[in-house]
Amino acid sequence: MKKIYKIFIPMIIFAGLFLSCDDELNQLPYDEFATENAYVTAQDFENGLRGVYSALTRGGLYGSSDAGSLLSAPDVLADNVTLSQRGRFSKRTLHDYEYNSNSTLGGTYSDAYALIFRANQILFYVQNFEGESKNNIIAEAKALRALAHFNLVTFFGKIPTQSGDANTSLGVAYVQEPDPNIEPARLSVAESYTKILEDLQDAKTKINPVNPVGRMNVDAVNVLLSRVYLYMGEWQNSIDAANQVDYQIAARDNVVGVWEDTNRDGLIFYIPNVDPILGNSIGVTWSQGSMTSLIPEYVTSFQLFSLFSDDDIRKDAYTFEGLSGGNAYNGIKKLFGRPGQTNGEVDYKIFRAAEVYLNKAEAYFNLGNETSARSALDELRTRRYLNSPNSETGVDLRDAIRSERRLEFAFEYQRFFDLKRWGLSVNRTNAGDQADGSGTPSDVLNLESGSTLFQLPLSQQSFRCKP
Amino acid sequence: MKKNYFKWLVFMFFSITTVLAQENSISGLVTDTSGEPLIGVNVIEKGTNNGAQTDFDGYFTLNVDVEKTIVFSFIGYVSVEREISDSNNSYDVQLQEDASELQEVVVTGYSRRNKTVQTSAVVSISASEIAELTPSTSIDNLIQGKAAGVQVTAANGKPGEGAFVRIRGVGSLSAGASSPLYIVDGSVVREQDLGTISNQDIENLSILKDAATTARYGSRGANGVVVITTKSGNRNKDAEIRFSSRFGYSERIQPNFDVMDASQKMQYEAELYSLGISAASNSPGVTTLPGSPERQFLLDYQTDWQDLMLKDGYIQSNNVSMSGGMENMDYYFSVGYDKNGGIIDQLDGFERINTRLNLNFDAKDWLKIGVNVGYSRSTSDEPRDRNNVQNPFRAMYDYNAYETEFELDENGSPILDENGNPIYTPTHTTFNVRGALLSEPSFEIKNNFLSSVDAEIMFSDNFSYGFNTSINSLNRRTESYSKPGGILDSIIGDPDNPGNKLDTGNYYFDMTMSNRLNYSYLSDSHNLNVMGLFEYNYNESNGYNLRSIGFPSELLTTQINAAQVTSASTTKNILTLVSYGMFADYDFEQKYLASASVRYDGSSNFGKDTRWGLFYSGSLGWNIAKEDFFNVDEINDLKLRASYGTVGNRNGISRYAAQDNVSFGSYPGGSATIPSNIGNPELKWETTATTNIGIEFNLLNRRIRGVADYFVRNTTDLLFAIPTSDEAGVGSIFGNLGEIQNKGFELSLQGDIIRNNDWKWTLGGNIFFLDHEIVELPDGEDVIPDNAYNILFREGAMINEHYLVRYAGVDPNNGAPLYFGADGEVYRAGDLPEGENRVLQGKSTIADQEGGFFTDLNYKGWGLRADFVFKSGNWINNFVRSNLNSDGINIDDNQALSAFNYWQQPGDTNVQPSPIYQNEANSVNSDRFLEKGDYIRMRNITFSYTFPSELLDKIPFNSLRLYVQGQNLLTFTEFYGDPEVGISSGETINFANTVAPGEATLYSYPNTKSINFGIDLSF
Repeated sequence: MKKIYKIFIPMIIFAGLFLSCDDELNQLPYDEFATENAYVTAQDFENGLRGVYSALTRGGLYGSSDAGSLLSAPDVLADNVTLSQRGRFSKRTLHDYEYNSNSTLGGTYSDAYALIFRANQILFYVQNFEGESKNNIIAEAKALRALAHFNLVTFFGKIPTQSGDANTSLGVAYVQEPDPNIEPARLSVAESYTKILEDLQDAKTKINPVNPVGRMNVDAVNVLLSRVYLYMGEWQNSIDAANQVDYQIAARDNVVGVWEDTNRDGLIFYIPNVDPILGNSIGVTWSQGSMTSLIPEYVTSFQLFSLFSDDDIRKDAYTFEGLSGGNAYNGIKKLFGRPGQTNGEVDYKIFRAAEVYLNKAEAYFNLGNETSARSALDELRTRRYLNSPNSETGVDLRDAIRSERRLEFAFEYQRFFDLKRWGLSVNRTNAGDQADGSGTPSDVLNLESGSTLFQLPLSQQSFRCKP
Repeated sequence: MKKNYFKWLVFMFFSITTVLAQENSISGLVTDTSGEPLIGVNVIEKGTNNGAQTDFDGYFTLNVDVEKTIVFSFIGYVSVEREISDSNNSYDVQLQEDASELQEVVVTGYSRRNKTVQTSAVVSISASEIAELTPSTSIDNLIQGKAAGVQVTAANGKPGEGAFVRIRGVGSLSAGASSPLYIVDGSVVREQDLGTISNQDIENLSILKDAATTARYGSRGANGVVVITTKSGNRNKDAEIRFSSRFGYSERIQPNFDVMDASQKMQYEAELYSLGISAASNSPGVTTLPGSPERQFLLDYQTDWQDLMLKDGYIQSNNVSMSGGMENMDYYFSVGYDKNGGIIDQLDGFERINTRLNLNFDAKDWLKIGVNVGYSRSTSDEPRDRNNVQNPFRAMYDYNAYETEFELDENGSPILDENGNPIYTPTHTTFNVRGALLSEPSFEIKNNFLSSVDAEIMFSDNFSYGFNTSINSLNRRTESYSKPGGILDSIIGDPDNPGNKLDTGNYYFDMTMSNRLNYSYLSDSHNLNVMGLFEYNYNESNGYNLRSIGFPSELLTTQINAAQVTSASTTKNILTLVSYGMFADYDFEQKYLASASVRYDGSSNFGKDTRWGLFYSGSLGWNIAKEDFFNVDEINDLKLRASYGTVGNRNGISRYAAQDNVSFGSYPGGSATIPSNIGNPELKWETTATTNIGIEFNLLNRRIRGVADYFVRNTTDLLFAIPTSDEAGVGSIFGNLGEIQNKGFELSLQGDIIRNNDWKWTLGGNIFFLDHEIVELPDGEDVIPDNAYNILFREGAMINEHYLVRYAGVDPNNGAPLYFGADGEVYRAGDLPEGENRVLQGKSTIADQEGGFFTDLNYKGWGLRADFVFKSGNWINNFVRSNLNSDGINIDDNQALSAFNYWQQPGDTNVQPSPIYQNEANSVNSDRFLEKGDYIRMRNITFSYTFPSELLDKIPFNSLRLYVQGQNLLTFTEFYGDPEVGISSGETINFANTVAPGEATLYSYPNTKSINFGIDLSF
């Protein structure tokens, strides 16, 4: 009997180790947090808003991607850059218009909707929040949602002023709820723009005049509004929105420093990009290496380079001569690095005051008000040249406005959209990739206006159910 | 008596007068009933640990006191006892085969079962077989070709790297969910960590294939189970010391294609330039004239980059073990060291040291205790395995022969920097890998502690209770350093903070605690065994990731000296499992066999109300040859068996997939909320139901042995990252949707062609035929899986089919590449119909026939054994070939000689497209380089000599074997390059994430061949 007793004791002890085992099946994550608890307090919503903003830095949007992104594609698709033979041939299919519906700018498409989901999640949870920051939370979320949709529709749909059929052609789906299972239909271009305007108008009335660095404020919303109206051909609205922006264009002496992050002159909305908070080498999209040992993916096209007059400060601010394999190349400097650095780590510049004046110039010109157009244009030109051109009229003025927009926003996410909305072709010259125009030109030199290739293809994964 | 040779000398010196009178030195020959010698029979003085083993020729000698009894015992034979008389010194014994212990014991994890009465499809590989097989550092590689139904694809040739093992097809469509469950002494070990276990320590490796046994692992056995047990000592046996050592070298398996040398490449460049390819205009083939001094300079100083980048790797393996036992305990102790230098010049490759102690003892007459502990530390250099300019195996093909390692002056001497070191050229890729191998060191260290502690309490002859705790504790860390001023640092570094160090690590802890209650009933005809199981498994993973920049010296590699931390994070997650099980085995006179199991498992990664799964199995067997009515002399054994059962799988989803979660990133101003998981509260077990029918037979005095099995595996409720629409903005959501089916036939046969006293020649082989289909997918929609290149899942198609546009060859009239549109018509690239032109063609990455065969010839002590493996029916997208035959689009990179074979004039056929159409060819994602992966490879050839006892008598060894072994010396294939493709590019899609092993070639570590010399001895 004693033996049995001795045997059972250890068994009971061992078995006892297991009594509470089933509770062990209820595991909560350590590295994550339950969604329902993440949007409760004012601080939670601030965190949430920053989460939406951080989506802007993703590889498909203002981040760098070898497949192309909002950061690079509007220039790669246009005439401002030439494919370098010394790089990794990234984004080549974009540059050559060899689209693959499954992959071309697929990251841009999905990243934009990822941002939209984050914004919608805030808008969903904020309904039960009654803090004093509620209005601004709604405003920032809607402004970002509008920005993402706007970028989508400019890439994947036509732009209203592009052609007569643009407004009735297919735009994008406008998603307004955080529903993971949503399979929305594509709206027309006109409907897409209407939704964008609704969000922006609401944002404009609710957003704070001043928000922390890296966030949109009322000026940023008005810049975007001005651009949206310009794309729609609503000239007066574009001017009105622009007029509400109270910001000076960067002074000529500050232009170089703006792109080396030594001053913030004229920046309305930018995102500081510093280790360890972000610290992303976005300049890799154009080149790696130092000026004396450059690995350029793309170089300033010889055509664009020749357009910069010698007294234009932007020639120094936007381009540089880099050496690679014994040859000189016109490197792209906007994202090259801070002083002494070549790592491509600089702030994300999203909206600048210069756009306000260029939008106004273009809108005034289209309204027939050449005087105001010229004076808006000169606001910019006097801050760029030592001896700026002036006094153009008629078509010359129109071309001057267009040319100045190209120069000012070279490598800054606009050129392809500008050509597209003006109904112009992409015409690259057959100058090569080297600094003097020799070397190898881009594979494809022209994209005729009216080509369907101005609208990027949607992947099969998108709109799987709805046509 | 050899094992105590020296001791005996001493002993006999002292006791020469007294002892000799009492002891007898006896000897004899042990044979089986056919008169053949039996090797390794234990001859032991009863009740002591004084004993010996028979040698290769069946002889033994032993010193025993007169009137003692000696016992002859051998697995599979009935033991015999003899009393020693002083008049007789010679004891020849014939052992009878024990019908009840016909063959090896099959280890099924929770139990050991005699093969005669087991009813499941199980392959068992013993220690002796493992010793004879490939001297690979990893266990999984070694299984290839050994077990029917088991498909093995070497991950790559990196020393210490493992293999993808798939048992009976691919059982899941999620990454990492198709590997079998590996159990080492009760601990769960991940497939990628098997390299930490020494082959020398393995006693038995059993592969459980059908549900009759895998269902006992209920929750996790859906893709088969590999049960590995480590060695233990023999009771009542004096210590035996074994020493195994081998050394040799390895080299890359030479590719079956050539790349251009300097003059060929420059000719190619000139040809392309004359065709109008402007990208060639800066190349030396255009900028230097043939015959010019500049051209001659390039030719004089040309580099064979493959030769420069690669080396012959040194291989070394040493292992010492000591084992033995007393009446109440046994022990096994070992220490091992392995080194494989790999084939990259400048790097050290792989190194492992391992120790093990296994102890079993009877603490009381009712209490048995077992302890198995093993520790290993492995270090592996980690060259960049990425498809970019940092990869040495890409660089050695891409660098042109006219490029040099160092900058040269006009005399061809290297130019020196201010420190007197030669300056590396940037090469045309702007990154010199030769320099980077030194300035960008990266390595991985794994410290693995495996322990299993078992206590078994006997209540009575029928009842027992067992408690086991098995722990797998794995500490893995990696260090990657970009030295200040090094190749990478000067490109992407921060000049103010030179140098960049990344430390990552993972502490992985897996603990299984199990309670077993056993009941067994044994009578003359009935044999019943029932086990109840209660088990708890806890798995925790902790990670860290730290990066700093700013190092004052390249000799300082720890981050404490860094100027600035640029990133730091730690992670932690937990996965638990609770299981209840009941298993029963029964046989009646070993004729009629039956087994059943039921298991109820709950796992923490599923939905709260859906986390429990019930798994069960039943199986029947019939040993026909044991029936009285069956008397066919030629047939010794004949068993029919059938099984059905269900098994679960919980891999392939994240650990908190059922819950809605956010995580936090950083953004100027503070935290940034990022939706990290869209939860699915209804997430539940993926379930596989397997039906199996098998036959086992032994014919003609067991000279012919065979097993055949047919199975159908249906997997339902597939765990799947179900894609949502892009517009939803959330990527995919884990769910249970879809069904796949694997069907197959397995056959394995062995025959002793010659079997007599001097000669033995055995031939054997196995083959596996596999058929697989995707039966159902979420909403019936096609799925393009992540972590693959061009794989598409479609209902009705095979698993892992390539999805590509069909290449239609070259237009003989103008040299343009042609393609088939979806409509079947032939088009130029730009004219392809709108919409989708890619198609599935029934070409999968999975072989539909795979197996191995061997020949083993022995004459006296001489042995010659060759093992072959083969695979057929799989398709590989050969990206490496594509890059080497790029139609000039990669004109800056070196090209294969076959690139010259392009269209030149109308009528040319069997050529590559004209380079003037390079953009067309580059724009279509076609099957132009999709190739059959069929091959036959001589995995192993061994020539050995085992010393006979006559010779051993003169030296102080018990056994001695010398061998020379070659690995991968012969390959038969039509594939362009090496056909054994697992990982394409390890940093693009790593081992654990690979959905379709062998989909594509993309410059991963090449496979190697090796030659080894070895010695095994014991005393």
